[in-house]
Amino acid sequence: MAKAVGITPTRMELLRLRQRVALAQKGHDLLREKMDALVIEFFGIVRRIRDARVKAMRRLEAAYHALSLCFALQGTIETHQAAREARKELVVDISTRHVMGILVPVFDVRPIERHALARGYSLYATSSALDEASREFEKVLGGLLKLAELEEGARVIALELEKTKRRVNALKYVILPGLKAMVKFISMRLDEMERENFSRLKRIKAMLEARE
Amino acid sequence: MSTDRIIQFELARLNVHLPERQITLKEALSSPAPHVVARDGSKHKFERGELEFLKEIVPPSDWDSLRLPILIVINPKLGRGAAEIAGRPEVEVVSSVLKKEARGDEMVIYRPEVAVLRAKLPTTTQYLFMVG
Repeated sequence: MAKAVGITPTRMELLRLRQRVALAQKGHDLLREKMDALVIEFFGIVRRIRDARVKAMRRLEAAYHALSLCFALQGTIETHQAAREARKELVVDISTRHVMGILVPVFDVRPIERHALARGYSLYATSSALDEASREFEKVLGGLLKLAELEEGARVIALELEKTKRRVNALKYVILPGLKAMVKFISMRLDEMERENFSRLKRIKAMLEARE
Repeated sequence: MSTDRIIQFELARLNVHLPERQITLKEALSSPAPHVVARDGSKHKFERGELEFLKEIVPPSDWDSLRLPILIVINPKLGRGAAEIAGRPEVEVVSSVLKKEARGDEMVIYRPEVAVLRAKLPTTTQYLFMVG
């Protein structure tokens, strides 16, 4: 029976296995706590994404409305021409924050709204509708970057959550039951050996008494 | 890699996000880019808005003793979902955020409260898993 399981039923092995069970149990408990914490983080970030998306969509709606007005008042070709002339620069400071060993990006955006003169297109050839549309889109950009930061955070947290859950399940359903079965097997085998020894001794004692 | 080594590796990885050295609220407020360096060498940045919030709820006399990030200690011995906050100024901050009465220098909070705390202070709080 011992050969079928592939372990040697000794006291030393039993002690070693008990240590392995304790380690696996500790690992399971802590990883489960980590998983719970990741779930909290994930739902927190999802809630923030929902709010940021609603805000961004509202601002985008206003920005596209302003752009439509600009197209109507100034003309499509002129608006496209002004867009080509505009300065396309954005300073973003990308850093990180830690969420339980996961690096989540943090975008620190400098104020995006620019003065009409700083945008780069000719004020002479364009109407105020273009300034209004530009301002609206500059307002949107900060919100979109915040949304990107949150969505990337949610993605990395979800990946880590999946990985942690797989480990917790492996420990709970495969490793711990396997180790516990081995401990049980060795304990039973040792008990059996003890009983065998006991009956052997009794038999020898009876034989010796009979001889005398 | 044997399963034991994988478990040991995972346990060792649990606390890599902890800072090598915590900084006080005063230091964080005076720094232009408040951050701490984690054990793995990466930077963990504090949000200015959170520091301003802490500045409002912590009396100036405690700015020197409040160490950031505030550690939410997860100890499996406390039971699933329970966490511990240690240190008087830290406990006062947490009790103020959660509007929960605090007694002494230690406080036990539970999962819904941890969620509230993390939502309010995502960069100035961090989890600490008690491995030993």
